[in-house]
Amino acid sequence: MTLLDLDHVVVRYGQAVAVDGVSLSVGEGERVALIGPNGAGKTSLLNAVCGVVRPASGRVRIEGRDLTGATPAAVVRRGVSQVPEGRHVFATLPVEANLLLGAYGRVFSLEIVSSTLRYVRSRREVRERLDRVYELLPKLHELRARPAAHTSGGEQQMVAIGRALMADPRLLAIDELSLGLAPLLVQQLAEFLLRLNDEQGVAILLVDQSAALAFSLCERAYVLETGRVVLEGPSGDLARRTEVRSAYLGGPSGAPS
Amino acid sequence: MTTFFQLIVVGISTGSVFAIVGMSLVLVYRATGIVNFAQGVFAVLAGLLTYSLGKHLPLPLAAVLATLVTAFVATLVALVAVGIRGRTTHLASLIITVGIAIFAEAVLLAAFGEVPRSYAAVSDRAWDIGGVLVLPQYAVLAVVALVAAIGLTLFLRHTIVGQALVASADSPRAAELIGLNLRSVALIAFAVAGALTAIGGVLLAPAMPVAYSSGLSITINGFAAAVFGGLASIRLALLGGYALGVVEQLVVGYIDPQYNLIIALVVMLVLIGWRSRGELAV
Repeated sequence: MTLLDLDHVVVRYGQAVAVDGVSLSVGEGERVALIGPNGAGKTSLLNAVCGVVRPASGRVRIEGRDLTGATPAAVVRRGVSQVPEGRHVFATLPVEANLLLGAYGRVFSLEIVSSTLRYVRSRREVRERLDRVYELLPKLHELRARPAAHTSGGEQQMVAIGRALMADPRLLAIDELSLGLAPLLVQQLAEFLLRLNDEQGVAILLVDQSAALAFSLCERAYVLETGRVVLEGPSGDLARRTEVRSAYLGGPSGAPS
Repeated sequence: MTTFFQLIVVGISTGSVFAIVGMSLVLVYRATGIVNFAQGVFAVLAGLLTYSLGKHLPLPLAAVLATLVTAFVATLVALVAVGIRGRTTHLASLIITVGIAIFAEAVLLAAFGEVPRSYAAVSDRAWDIGGVLVLPQYAVLAVVALVAAIGLTLFLRHTIVGQALVASADSPRAAELIGLNLRSVALIAFAVAGALTAIGGVLLAPAMPVAYSSGLSITINGFAAAVFGGLASIRLALLGGYALGVVEQLVVGYIDPQYNLIIALVVMLVLIGWRSRGELAV
C-alpha cells in the first residue's frame, strides 16, 4: 500500500490557484523529490499534506486513510512529520526541549492533564527515541542545553529534523533542506537522510531548489510548474532530459554527471 | 524616616499586585505573542465576585470560586481574542483585548454597581516593627507574588507544558507542525494567567477597594512592570512590580497622590523607548 497518496489536490488562496490538481504518491520507505521553480506550489502542496491548509478539492490519503483537511496534529499522529522551510526552531528553548516537544506535540490536546500524563507515561519510549536521535545526530547531544537560537544554520536544520523524528514518523516531508547551508553541510545531511531511510525505513519527500541534490538523494521525482506536475519518473531518467537539465541542472548540454 | 519605611512597605505590597498582573501579561505574551489589555479586568472581576459571593458564603470559599470563575472568563476572552481557529494576527488580537477591556467595564458596572468594594483581610492584626505598620495582608501579597514568580519560571523552563507554550510563541508555524493546537495553547495560557491575576485581585481588594473602573490602571501598572523585562522575563516583571510600587508610594507620600498612575505611564514609556533603542542598535 502506498504511504502517501495525493489525488488531484487543488489549493487556492482566494482567487489564486497555488496547486492545480496534483496527484502524487510516496511508497513505504521510498525517497521522492519534488522540484520546481519558486512559486510552483511546492510548499503549498506540503502544507496541504500536513493539514496546515485545507485543499479546495482532491484527496489526501495516508495509508489509505482519508486525511483531507485533517488537523496538523492528526497528520503527525498518522506518521507524517514536516521539517519546515527556514527550519523554524523554537529559538528561546534549549535544543533538548525542541526535540522533546516533537514527541509531546503528538499527544498534546486541550485535555492538558490527560495528554501530559500520556506523555509522561510514555517517558521511557520518548527517552529511547531521544537517545536514538542523539545517536543519529551526535552534534545535537553536544548542543542539548544550548538555546536553539544560539546554534548555527546547519545545527538548526539538524534540530528541526531531530524534532520531526521525535514524533516517530514513517514519512519525513522536508521543505528546502539545502537552503542557506554550506555544500559540505548539505552533503552530510543528505548522507544522514540516506542512512535514516536505509536503517529505519523512514520514507522521504524532499522539496528542494537544488535539483542536483534532489536527484542524487531520491529514487523518483516530480517536477512541478505553476501548480501542476509537468514531469515525473525515476530521478536518473529525469536528470537525462534536456528540458530538465537546462531548467534545473544549470546547463543544456553535456553528459549527466 | 518612619514615613519612608512605611511607604516602602506599602509600596512593596501594592507593587506585588503589579508584579502579579505583570507576570500574567508575560505568560500570555510568551505563549501567544498577544498583549492582553483586558488582564486588569480579571483582577477587578475576581475582587468584586469575592465581595458579592462573600455575603453568602465563607470568604475563603468565595475567593476560590471567584478565582475559578475568573479563569473561565479568561478562557472565553482568549477564544474571542485569538479566534476560533487560533489564527487571528497578534495586532488584531491586541486591539480585540482593548475592546474587551472597555466592554468589560460596562458589564462590571451593570453587574456590581459603581461603589468600590472591599472585604475583610486575611487577618485583622497588624505588626508594629519600629513604628512601621505591617499588615499581614501586605506580607501575603508579597509572598504570593514571589511564589508565583518562582512557580511560573519553573513552569515555563522545566515542564513540557510550559515549554509548549513558549514554543508556540517562538514559532507558531513549527508549533502547529509538531501537533500543538495554537488555540488550545492560547486557552491554557489565558486560563493560567487569568487565575493568577484573579488571586492578585482577591488579595488586593482588602488593602485597596476595587471598583468596576479599576481594571485599566491595574493593567497599565502591570504592563509597566512587565515591560521592565521586555515582556519576556518573569523575574524582571516581579522586580519591576516591586520597584514601580515603591516609587509610586514615595511619590504619593512626598509629592502628590494624584501622580501615581502618571508615574506608571512615564516609567513604561521611558522603558519602551530605552529598550527599543537597544534593539535597534543590535
